[in-house]
Amino acid sequence: MAEIGKVRIRVPSSIKQGDVVRVRALVIHPMEIVQRRDGKPVDKNYLFINKVVVTYNGREILEAETTQSVSENPFFAFTFRATEPGTLKIAFLDTHGGKYEGTVDIKFS
Amino acid sequence: MERTPSTSHITRRTLLRALAVVGLAGVSGPLLAPGAVQAQGTLGALQPEEKVEATMKRLFGSRPIKDGSSAIKLDIPLIAENGAVVPVTVEVQSPMTPADYVKHIYIISDKNRRPMNAKFTLTPAMGTALVGANLRLGETTDVRAVAELSDGTLLMAKREVKVTVGGCGG
Repeated sequence: MAEIGKVRIRVPSSIKQGDVVRVRALVIHPMEIVQRRDGKPVDKNYLFINKVVVTYNGREILEAETTQSVSENPFFAFTFRATEPGTLKIAFLDTHGGKYEGTVDIKFS
Repeated sequence: MERTPSTSHITRRTLLRALAVVGLAGVSGPLLAPGAVQAQGTLGALQPEEKVEATMKRLFGSRPIKDGSSAIKLDIPLIAENGAVVPVTVEVQSPMTPADYVKHIYIISDKNRRPMNAKFTLTPAMGTALVGANLRLGETTDVRAVAELSDGTLLMAKREVKVTVGGCGG
């Protein structure tokens, strides 16, 4: 998993001021699930993303608490209102303290 | 192998001790029981294994949940061949103004061992109340989307998804 933590974000190619923009984001991550031995769950520090934070020009617009019921290489979609040019940042935090960030520049055409 | 003597003496014991300290520092959030000394990904920090009724009770108590099937658009395949990746999109009709917006969206799948799947905290800056994710579903199950509006109203919509191959492993 050399690519673990690689974040890909897609936004529409042309954005106008005031548009509600649909964003799709993907992160490469194993999202480990609970292992069972003899029907009993094994207790260990499972590696999965448990928090996603989206900020737009420094303001937090969306936060998600995720569990292992989210698929491997998790994909998220959401919208935001493009009020000003700037940066949209998506941070994925996992249970082992990993933080994976992706940013995309929002420009108006 | 050019290692300094100090690093070459990392035993399993010292490593575990160090990890325990890291774990202690990382503990946060309301999901943990008070006083729990565990890292974030251990069983104690996960959502509990329970029936969906217990999950609903834990999350929403005895608050009334209204039928939101007209306001919530739950976009999920009727038949999911692969339970490991089930795309779901939840869109709630809402003006998304600071006075009236959708505060939280919960995605809950009834028959997963841990029914609570994801909780989204939304803000009016999003323009629309739309979130999407890829779920893992263990078997054919109802998937619920519960929206909590800014005035505290709870709305719920649910759909059954037939899962051909489960995605939760063991």
